[in-house]
Amino acid sequence: MTVAGDALQEQAAARQLASAVRKLFGRSLHVRTVDTGSCAVCESELRLLLAPHYDLHRLGLFFTPAPRHADMLLVTGPAVRAMDTALLKTYVAMPDPKIVVAIGACPLGGVYAEDDLIHGRLDQVLPVDVVVPGCPPNPLALLHGLLVAVGRLAERVGDLRFVIEEPGP
Amino acid sequence: MPSGPGREAVAVSSGDDRPFYGAAVVRCPDGQAAAARVRQFGEHFGARVADLYAAMEEELVTLHLVMALDAEGGYVDLTWPVSGEQYPAISEILPAAFVEECEIFEQFGVRPADNKPLNRVAIPPRAEAHFPRLGPAPGHEGRHPRAPHYVAGEAFEFPFGPVRAVAQESLYIGLVTSGEEVIDLYLMQWHKHRGLERRLQGLPPERALFFVERMEGLSAVGNGWAFCRALEGCAGVQVPPPIERVRGIALELERLYNHAAAVAALAQATGLSVGQAQAEIVLEQLLRLNSVVFGHRYLFGVLALGGVHRAPEAGALRELLGSAVDGLRREIEALQSTNSFMDRLEACGIVSPEVAQRLAVVGPVARGSGQNRDARRDHPFGPYLDERVEVATRASGDVLSRLEVVATEAAESARLIGEFCRAGLRAQASSRPVHLPRSASALGWSESSRGESLVSILVDDNELSRVRLRPASVRNWRAFDDAARSRNVFTDVPIIEASFWLTVAGFAR
Ligand code: SF4
Repeated sequence: MTVAGDALQEQAAARQLASAVRKLFGRSLHVRTVDTGSCAVCESELRLLLAPHYDLHRLGLFFTPAPRHADMLLVTGPAVRAMDTALLKTYVAMPDPKIVVAIGACPLGGVYAEDDLIHGRLDQVLPVDVVVPGCPPNPLALLHGLLVAVGRLAERVGDLRFVIEEPGP
Repeated sequence: MPSGPGREAVAVSSGDDRPFYGAAVVRCPDGQAAAARVRQFGEHFGARVADLYAAMEEELVTLHLVMALDAEGGYVDLTWPVSGEQYPAISEILPAAFVEECEIFEQFGVRPADNKPLNRVAIPPRAEAHFPRLGPAPGHEGRHPRAPHYVAGEAFEFPFGPVRAVAQESLYIGLVTSGEEVIDLYLMQWHKHRGLERRLQGLPPERALFFVERMEGLSAVGNGWAFCRALEGCAGVQVPPPIERVRGIALELERLYNHAAAVAALAQATGLSVGQAQAEIVLEQLLRLNSVVFGHRYLFGVLALGGVHRAPEAGALRELLGSAVDGLRREIEALQSTNSFMDRLEACGIVSPEVAQRLAVVGPVARGSGQNRDARRDHPFGPYLDERVEVATRASGDVLSRLEVVATEAAESARLIGEFCRAGLRAQASSRPVHLPRSASALGWSESSRGESLVSILVDDNELSRVRLRPASVRNWRAFDDAARSRNVFTDVPIIEASFWLTVAGFAR
């Protein structure tokens, strides 16, 4: 694909994402990431989402170090077992409704087979809602993935019950 | 391997054992003899510890000490079998070997005979005996590299990690501090251990290359080329110069984007968002350039055994490279004329020349501390046989020296790419089948942006029986705590980390 084509696609994806976030979440959505044994490249692509070419902030998405503020969990790496505790603690600390996005081929089982060191797939550890394949997924793919994830999260917010309905007598 | 003056002086005893490539093999009957040889190499040749690893050979743990003779332009693989559970400590002669001694203890259950406590490297605490390892499990666990929580009643340990800032690799940093000053610091990297060396055993070489590229993706070409060279060496495959130059271009592009990424990280760590944004623009330009020229932003899949999978788009390279490199240079100059930036860098994170020498660090960390070494010049290979690399060094060993080294190296990379293009490239992808011999040992090396990267392989029965990966990160993390301790405050740690620009993935692999 041409560079210009890429840029157009990027703009379109960004516009869609921005309007979805604005409509559904009143302009801000917080994202936390956890690395479970990546090769460091997926991290590099995630960092670039904040860089000027993609500038996630303008779309109302913010990376947050605090899981308690996070609506969305992005996980890279093949789910190394030694990271289980840290990963689960992060997940549990996030308020409901929350959404888990598997970033890259690693957490989909596309790189490492399961063994005593590695789960090999993220869904062995956490319920995965959205997957973004690629080794690594480039920032454009990540933007698309985030758009899908925002949609899922919106469904979940819609499902939330704020009043517990007791069954009638 | 190029022959240099004094190469003949290296005693080589091959016997009727397996043939070797890349490194001259010196076999010793036991640890005592090996230690004597190590002393001899250290004193007479100024040998540098490049790697120490173990392999199971005929039911015995066999150690391989890879020493670099930089002045002579060669590597020596000193090997000896360990009988029993201990061997004479190599780190007593060459202290840099300590981290590998700890690794070997975890993976093979043998330890140096000096009763020093060994640190945990890759195996998580309380791992069961059946935990996947390369050899027999040790009888007991290595200690946690845990610093005392109280020093003179004042200091405490600030735990940080393994989940750290957003989009950073998992790493546990134990910071011992009295509130501001870093008194001590230790790292735990086992959270990311994926057992790669074990996974590579017995794999077909093409599959193995896939994993080697993904061990530390930010050095996919640097590490992958070292692996290809080791395999091609023992399979007797000659790669024609126009193809080697294509590989050289990929390596230099990888070095360039890493340098841009390190500058961006440095600006971020010092809180300069404009500087960071500008460096990230250059980084994105370089990644897009990779994608246009070689079809992958991080250059995965460019290398093939015996050649390359992709031919570069030379026109696009000529068109796009100049402006990206200019952008990087301008960005570094702008940062260097920002006082608030420079103040944070000077005298921060010092690795003294003595420490750099003792720990045998490599790459910009070594060159920023006055160590004039670069595998592309000292042990030239491929296109670097024809094109000599100018190596820049600085003496003061602080973050600023490392930045200056990186700035000079970026310009040198651009020059090298130009020279390789002028000398002619193969315009099509081209690879050759690599058939493993019945038995061989081989060493391959290259110089990634982080420094010298080594891959050692042992072949038995036409299979990869042992693949040892030693990316530059393994060597250089060793100097990180020294750098952090040298009269720094808490907030200097991210700056030092950015200036080292290492990966946890490469260390923990
Ligand atoms: S998916 Fe690919 S790029 Fe991402 S961490 Fe895994 S190996 Fe690296």
